[in-house]
Parts: sequence; structure tokens; C-alpha cells
Amino acid sequence: MSVRAAAHFEDIERQEQAARLGMWVFLASEILFFAGLFALYFAYRSEHPRGFDLGIARNTIAWGSVNTAVLLVSSYTVALAVHELRRGKPVAAAWLVGVTVALGLCFLCVKTGEYLEHFREGIYPAGAGAFFAENDEPGIKMFFTLYFCMTGLHAIHVIVGMGVLVALLVRVLRGSIVPAASYPLAVGAVYWHLVDVIWIFLWPLFYLTPGGLQ
Amino acid sequence: MSAAGATPSAKAARAPGEKRAAGAKETTARGLALTLFALLALAGLSLALRYAHLGAFGVPVALVIAGAKAVLVAVFFMEILVERVTVRLAMGTGIVLLGILLALIAADILTREPAPLTNPPGTEMRDRG
Repeated sequence: MSVRAAAHFEDIERQEQAARLGMWVFLASEILFFAGLFALYFAYRSEHPRGFDLGIARNTIAWGSVNTAVLLVSSYTVALAVHELRRGKPVAAAWLVGVTVALGLCFLCVKTGEYLEHFREGIYPAGAGAFFAENDEPGIKMFFTLYFCMTGLHAIHVIVGMGVLVALLVRVLRGSIVPAASYPLAVGAVYWHLVDVIWIFLWPLFYLTPGGLQ
Repeated sequence: MSAAGATPSAKAARAPGEKRAAGAKETTARGLALTLFALLALAGLSLALRYAHLGAFGVPVALVIAGAKAVLVAVFFMEILVERVTVRLAMGTGIVLLGILLALIAADILTREPAPLTNPPGTEMRDRG
């Protein structure tokens, strides 16, 4: 079971460190990328508390909560996959990565259902749709524009994360990621965890907290 | 200095992970399960507090719970404490910049008169209150 470092790395340990540092620097930039939208959310919400309350009331708590549970469990399954691979069990690891991808798909199905429900109610991105003609509270357009922006960007991250995990799953099954150097799976899993962390903050702000801020 | 081993055995290759930070360990299977349980419990608490009518405290309380969940994920799932100092520095920089961004925006929104975002583009002109 030989693990060779790429030609430009002195050894596998340096290669692993470069991969880990690269991923974490990328995650820090992702946090700042979403930070702008969170800042905008709080700024608009402090000026338009009523519009945001009305918007939150339009979202279905049950669907948001189901998706929260789905993502939390998926974070657990991918963390367990890394654990199993480290213990020398690639087949168990591959199954767990597969379950994680399936949970990601489940999340996207629920999210799509929610979007379609909004479209039926006449709520479209950028304040378009019949709903906004009947509800002219100024903050509500901002709420739903931020809602579609932030949950949409998050959903794109879920899709990318699923792609990364499928690629890693194939590599585990082919034997090109081995227990002796399991870090590619660990680095991919860390990205998936960040996607989970972002949803942990989106869930209360878009589903759970009417009547806050001023 | 690192050993000149481009083809380490399984045991030797795991060693770097353990060397990465003194004191911190990779999470055990039991630790992972307990973390999931704690995360789901905190999510349940957040959901229950939705119906407790906390008023102005609703958002801060929900964010504190979300922050606790994020810390659990970072420490036990992402194993941030096991990473080397360079990695923790990269993530720490991101968090500090996030704090500066939110603090300065909050300072602007809360102190400027007239309020800067009362009538952003795309909304009708209205009086406040």
C-alpha cells in the first residue's frame, strides 16, 4: 500500500498539509463571501422589522426544520466516513459517503418544493410576482430577495459539495484514496461541514425568528 | 525535520495527523455520535424557543444557539483544534474580519441619522414608523 507524494512535494506529509491549508483558506474566503449577505440581512432587518416578520411567517417551519436535521445528520455521516477510512475500512467509508450524498439530494428536493410553493403564491426573486402587488410592505421585497439569494447560493454549495463527495467516493472505491493517506476525503468532508454551518445560521434567520430586532 | 519517507506504512502515515497539534485528538466514533446528539438537541431547543415568544431576544438567542452548534461542528466534525497553527490562523483571520465587518455595519446602521437604508432602491418612498 504505497502512497507517493506528487513530484513537487518533499513527502506525503507536506502534501497533506498543503491540501488542508488550501481548503481552510478557501473556507475562510467562503465565510467572508456569505458575511456580506448576512450583514445586508441584519442591516435591512433593523430598518424594516415588520416586512421581515411577514416574510418569515410565509416560510414553512416544518420544511426548514426537516432540512436542518437532514444536513446535521449528513455532517455526521461524512465525519464517520473519514473515521472509518482512517480505521482501514474503505467499503464502510464509501457507503457513508453515499448516504451523505443521498441526504444532500434530499435537502435539495425539499428546497425545490419550497421554491415551487413560493412561485405558486406569486413570490419570485427580486420582488417580482403578484404577491408583492398585494403586500406593499417595503421590507418584504428585501426579505424575499435575500431569501432567494442566500438559500440559492447555499443550494449551489450543496450541489458542488455533492459533486466533490461523489468524486471522492469513486476514488475511495477505486483504491486511489487509501487509509494510509485518507486526507483527501477529510478535506472534502470539511467543505461539506461548512455548508452545514452556513445552513445552521440561515435556518433561524429565515424560519424561526419573527418579531426580533427592535 | 520530516523523515524522508515517500512510501510510509499505514501507521506511519497516520502519525502526521496526530502530530499536527499537541493535546488535541481526532474525534472517536462515540464522540461523533455524541456531537450529532448535541446538535439535534440544540436544534430542538431553537425550534421550541420559536414558540416561546421571546420578542426582541428571539434573534440574539437563536444566534447564540446557532453559534454553539457551529463551534460543535468546527471542533468535533471539522477537527479544527487538531490542525496546525497555520490552518487555525487562516480560519481565525476570516472570523476576525467577519467581526470587523459586522461591527462597523452595525455602528453605521444604529447611529446614522437619517437611517441609511429606510428607502433603498426598488421600494416606494414612505415615512418611517
